[in-house]
Amino acid sequence: VTLENPHHHAPRAGQTVLTPVATALAPAHQVEAFARLSDPALSELGLEEFLDELLLRVREALTVDTVAILLHDPGSHELVARAAKGIEEEVERGVRIPVGQGFAGRIAAERVAVFVADVDHADILNPILREKGIQSLLGVPLVVEGALIGVLHVGSLVPRDFGQRDLAVLQVAAARAAPGIERARLFSELEREHRVAMVLQRSLLPKRLIDVIGVTTAARYLPASDEVGGDWYDVFELARGRLGVAIGDVVGHGVRAAALMGQLRTALHAYAMEDYGPARTLELVDRFVQAMPDYAMATAAYAVLEPDTGEVQIASAGHLPPVVVSRDGGRVVDVTPSAPLGAFSYGRVREHQLTLAPGETLVFYTDGLVERPGTPLNESIEELLAVLKGATSVDELCRRAVDTMVPAERLRDDVAIVAIQNAEIDDVLDLRLPADPKILAEIRLALRRWLRHQGASDSQTMEITLAVSEACTNAIEHAYSPAPAEFTLHASADAGGVTFIVADVGRWRVPRGTDRGRGLTIIRAAMDDVHVNSSETGTEIVMHRKLTS
Amino acid sequence: VKLADVQFSDRERVVIARLSGEIDLSNAESIENAIAEATPNHALALILDVSALDYLDSAGIHLIYKLREKLRARGQALRLVIPADSPANDALRLAGVSRNIDTADSLDAALAEFSDEQRAAEVPDPGSV
Repeated sequence: VTLENPHHHAPRAGQTVLTPVATALAPAHQVEAFARLSDPALSELGLEEFLDELLLRVREALTVDTVAILLHDPGSHELVARAAKGIEEEVERGVRIPVGQGFAGRIAAERVAVFVADVDHADILNPILREKGIQSLLGVPLVVEGALIGVLHVGSLVPRDFGQRDLAVLQVAAARAAPGIERARLFSELEREHRVAMVLQRSLLPKRLIDVIGVTTAARYLPASDEVGGDWYDVFELARGRLGVAIGDVVGHGVRAAALMGQLRTALHAYAMEDYGPARTLELVDRFVQAMPDYAMATAAYAVLEPDTGEVQIASAGHLPPVVVSRDGGRVVDVTPSAPLGAFSYGRVREHQLTLAPGETLVFYTDGLVERPGTPLNESIEELLAVLKGATSVDELCRRAVDTMVPAERLRDDVAIVAIQNAEIDDVLDLRLPADPKILAEIRLALRRWLRHQGASDSQTMEITLAVSEACTNAIEHAYSPAPAEFTLHASADAGGVTFIVADVGRWRVPRGTDRGRGLTIIRAAMDDVHVNSSETGTEIVMHRKLTS
Repeated sequence: VKLADVQFSDRERVVIARLSGEIDLSNAESIENAIAEATPNHALALILDVSALDYLDSAGIHLIYKLREKLRARGQALRLVIPADSPANDALRLAGVSRNIDTADSLDAALAEFSDEQRAAEVPDPGSV
């Protein structure tokens, strides 16, 4: 056993710096200890299990009473007890040793192995070591690629002369432990951030999409394999039955991008609710981004659909062009993108118009769906069109896009896709509806759409919509309560005009007072022919209106 | 979704409520309550501007009548601003109640009416409403 005390290591009470020397022949039990500590199976464990198993093996190999790992906290420049056997109190009490002080602090500061023969007469900072009755200590630094990550030390309850063989075993253990800890620690930090970002991202995206009569929407979001990004989509109702559809992609990844995404989605939604058109809405979001204290940039596109006409106002701030797909084809929408949000001050966003024919679907997506190394963007957008063409529903469309365009293996970037379809208009409307006043606005929307399809003029559409809405109001007010009730609306067209039947399942009630009878007055004034049929099972109002121009 | 919106403003002792969007059975009552709430007791009158409404039906007409009753009980007048070619006017016409409610073609016309009244009487006379 060679004990050294070289000059460059300042002597400290009771501590001996141990410099490893090459040992000629290792005894058999030591070879076995090396093998046990180098066991590849260890690397498959998570950090907790890995440390637990490693410490047990060290304790066994060196036949010591205690073994502990303290990790370096770069923030406070302290060593923090992370795992221990025999002195679990170290971890439980969260022992912190400043680097440079005491036994472990010196190992860390000087990156040397230190032997303490007699704890009672040595410079020891941690009281637990004495309390536990430890007599002798041996510790080594944990170093990865030249960087200190912590200290590994063992202790004996009986006085023990730790020597070169013990040191060799401990160093094998340290060499094994250090990269494992580092990898696991980095991994768990990334994992934690990933988890936080995922939850954040999920909570920032809409919980459910809107489905109004005649318009259906669907969307998908897929986080990247390694971390979340800043992709978002949104669908919301606007005044006068219009629908807003938005998509965006914040530059960057991780929690920050996800948080920024949430702010931009909210800002866009709020401006959109104030009825600014798509271009002005994006300009206002741009001003919002410009006003942020930190650098931020994002691309976004926003469209407003008028469901009764299929007209779409659309604007893009540096976002990829949306596509329109139908049963037998598709096209890339010609939207000249303006500069991305946050790119430069007072940018102007241009607005474009397009019409979504019944059956056509407008699809927004983010670059994660179409960007592939080595493939020009326009080629993969064409590929997307070919994939989406003929999809019968928005759900099928999104599924196809994800199944075909998104690689099955590692996803490099996150992916968002949102689709809105102007549904085919049937010659006959046959709706079963909840007896809830909230449904009335949606019914009017469906009626306007259908009436336009039947060739009704603006004033005819207005009057008929009013009359049928009144009939539905009647059905809702007369519906059985308090149980959830339903009523039906049937609309059909013939050469002479349009016929509507609104039927509830409640008994007809005599309208109370003049105010309540006003609905029927409106119906009679707006329609050419009105019948109210009451029976034991319910009431139906049959209305006809001529559609001569 | 926000089906309708109300924007309030004051001109002297006249409260102006501008309605926009659509009024039906789903929101008529809460709008009525909001307007009644926003009209203080010392107000001389309420101008209800429905020019920007996209839709109004019997539930909305009912709202106007009930609001008029409430205001009348407090000695306050109600003036409806309703242009001839507005959707709200079509509803009133079809319901046959156009002539039952005091209306003005524009907000300025309604305001002018009240500023005359305001000058004429420092204390509002409930009987004149």
